[in-house]
Amino acid sequence: MKKLLSLVLCLMLCLVSVSALAENVVVEAVPNEGQFEGQELSILVSAGWMDNRYDATIARFEETYGVTVDLQTIPADQYFDILLAGLANGTCSDVFWIQSNPFAIKSMIVDPENLCIDFTGADWAGVIPEARLAACQSDGKLYGLQIWHNSPEYVMLYNKTLFEELGLEVPTTYAELKDVCAKIAEQGITPWFLPGADGWQHQLAFFQIGGVYEEATPGLFDALNNNTATFADNEKMLEVLGQFKELSDLGYFGEDWIGTDSTNMANEYGDRTIAMAMNNASYVKQLHDELDTEDEWGMFLIPLGDNTWFPTSPAGPTMFGYKGTEHEDLVRAWFQFVCTPESLQEILDNSPNYTNLHVNVDIEQHWLPEEEAFMETVDPAKMNCCVLQNGTKYTNDYWMQFGQDMIAYVQGSIEANDVLKAMDGYRAEGAATAGDEAWK
Amino acid sequence: MVRPVNKKKVYPTWFLILPLVLYIVFFLFPSLLGIFYSFTDWSRNTSKTGLNFVGIKNYIEIFSSNKNYADGILNTLKFTIVSNLVKIIPALFLAIILYEGLKGMGVYRTIFYLPSIIPFVIIGILFTSVLNFKNGLLNNTLQAVGLGFLKQKWLSDLNVVWKSIYMVDAWRGMGYVMTIFMTGLAAIDKSYYEAARVDGANFWQRLWYVTLPMMRGAIMINLVFGITYGLKVFDIVYVLTNGGPGHATEVMTTYSFQLYGAGQYGMATAFNSILLVITAVVGILIVRTMSRKGAA
Repeated sequence: MKKLLSLVLCLMLCLVSVSALAENVVVEAVPNEGQFEGQELSILVSAGWMDNRYDATIARFEETYGVTVDLQTIPADQYFDILLAGLANGTCSDVFWIQSNPFAIKSMIVDPENLCIDFTGADWAGVIPEARLAACQSDGKLYGLQIWHNSPEYVMLYNKTLFEELGLEVPTTYAELKDVCAKIAEQGITPWFLPGADGWQHQLAFFQIGGVYEEATPGLFDALNNNTATFADNEKMLEVLGQFKELSDLGYFGEDWIGTDSTNMANEYGDRTIAMAMNNASYVKQLHDELDTEDEWGMFLIPLGDNTWFPTSPAGPTMFGYKGTEHEDLVRAWFQFVCTPESLQEILDNSPNYTNLHVNVDIEQHWLPEEEAFMETVDPAKMNCCVLQNGTKYTNDYWMQFGQDMIAYVQGSIEANDVLKAMDGYRAEGAATAGDEAWK
Repeated sequence: MVRPVNKKKVYPTWFLILPLVLYIVFFLFPSLLGIFYSFTDWSRNTSKTGLNFVGIKNYIEIFSSNKNYADGILNTLKFTIVSNLVKIIPALFLAIILYEGLKGMGVYRTIFYLPSIIPFVIIGILFTSVLNFKNGLLNNTLQAVGLGFLKQKWLSDLNVVWKSIYMVDAWRGMGYVMTIFMTGLAAIDKSYYEAARVDGANFWQRLWYVTLPMMRGAIMINLVFGITYGLKVFDIVYVLTNGGPGHATEVMTTYSFQLYGAGQYGMATAFNSILLVITAVVGILIVRTMSRKGAA
């Protein structure tokens, strides 16, 4: 009996240890033996993915190994063209990023075996949470490192104080949203700030409500991935596009939302020239830091299509090592270096808007009360459906083109169903490029 | 006594070899290779599937796709014509005004020429800011001087966006065109003008009967440069609108760039091949027409 008890205790101890290992992975930097002295590491990244949150880590990396880091930050609307051209002609930077999801490596990089460094078995692999691993792996091999936050992404971030002053309730349906927008517009305030000139933001209104489409047509995501369903003629999608256009026609996105970018968004919030916009929950932190205002902020789900679904998204900007690099060991050292607890804490602390990092490392997170309050309003049963762009193959790859089509529709150049048909066309192209059997 | 030229000793032929080799290696060969690839399914997946000959499938796709590639071709042709008109005509008059002895000619010439050496990326950043509807310099200035009714959504209104592109393109390129015209004007013997004045010719008659015929070379250079620039236009569109709003300002090269970015290299080279053929045909036509007139 005593032996059995001690065996059970031993087993429990082992399980706790394994579980602790899975929850708190500690990675150590590659020892510096002067092996990289004088080398240069080039990193190609889209604006907004590294920002200054990596500056201190890059500086320490340079100092530790006596190397230089050439950080090439490209505007978001040009990034993928430049990256894919670099990958195609063999001139890619040592490290590059893509907006990855479980399908992105095959559809965007296409040939990871020949283009990406295989990190399978790397010390830092355990840093990535299980839910994000699929976006970093292809055919069982680890290629990417995704360090991203776990805050609600691109929900409606609104001026709570302003809403209270105007006697407005948080809208939960499209009809309520329209009513709220009308009342805000009467005050000379732009109800929903939508920076169309960025080229990538307005699509979120359509894609972040993936659960709405799946709920309207159960099995839609699988059918889209098996090429047995199309975007075209999907009634719920047509309804949402119609609502989007109606809000635009009514001027609720602002007088020239198509020609406006997001550069001044924080100030617009602060000046109360706008009431709400789609943002990451952690944008609240940026507002607190940048604005001199006592206004309070809140969040609610995008109500297009009467949405009640949380934008679950196991995706995010992900870092890859280019296989054609002349400094593969340096690239490996960089990935290892980024995953040390010190670096991860540094990245989080220096971030202008992250409140947390979704990693299996014990670091001090900085969750906001606003985020916690918002999460309490979401039905946990409505958190299990992925956003449309990351739950379906080849969709996210044509994000910018879909955005252009949405604008063409809003301006009356094409019909709503043409936007959806075009997406089917893009996805077919992506499938052909990836050699997807379902499209043959 | 004039000694007959020994053609075997005429060595300028040798001088041709180096530029000819460079031309073949860097222009002719890549162009022919591009045409070859336009008949294949060259894509990002080629490393896995190999390169396959697909005949004219890429060309059929371009002209039959629902993606309005044909609009991109029409927009390119439209840009070529309009952008040259709005540059060449004002540049000609500017050149004449400056050459007629305006004080501070050198200063003006420098000021007009300067924009043409500014990189397109800078121009893009500058003018997307200047033309911003809400906070842009242009609309704010119009508002400040009481012309608020002229305010426009310069880069997002379908009826205005092309005019904005022409305006910025003219701002950038006019000085360069003007400089070539001034060189042409400098080559015209003053005695022609004196004779015309004696005969009582007014400004327009002198322009029509003396200046323009004598400037045929400068006009031809500007036309050839302008048309080839117009047909391969990319930068100015990319930095100002990136083909938008929607697809309103897509041109052949922006579509080609998108296709290349999407990994459809075969289609992208088919687009470029069409551009190559159009450019070659138009270029040959211009040179032949102007040469014939010159000979006459």
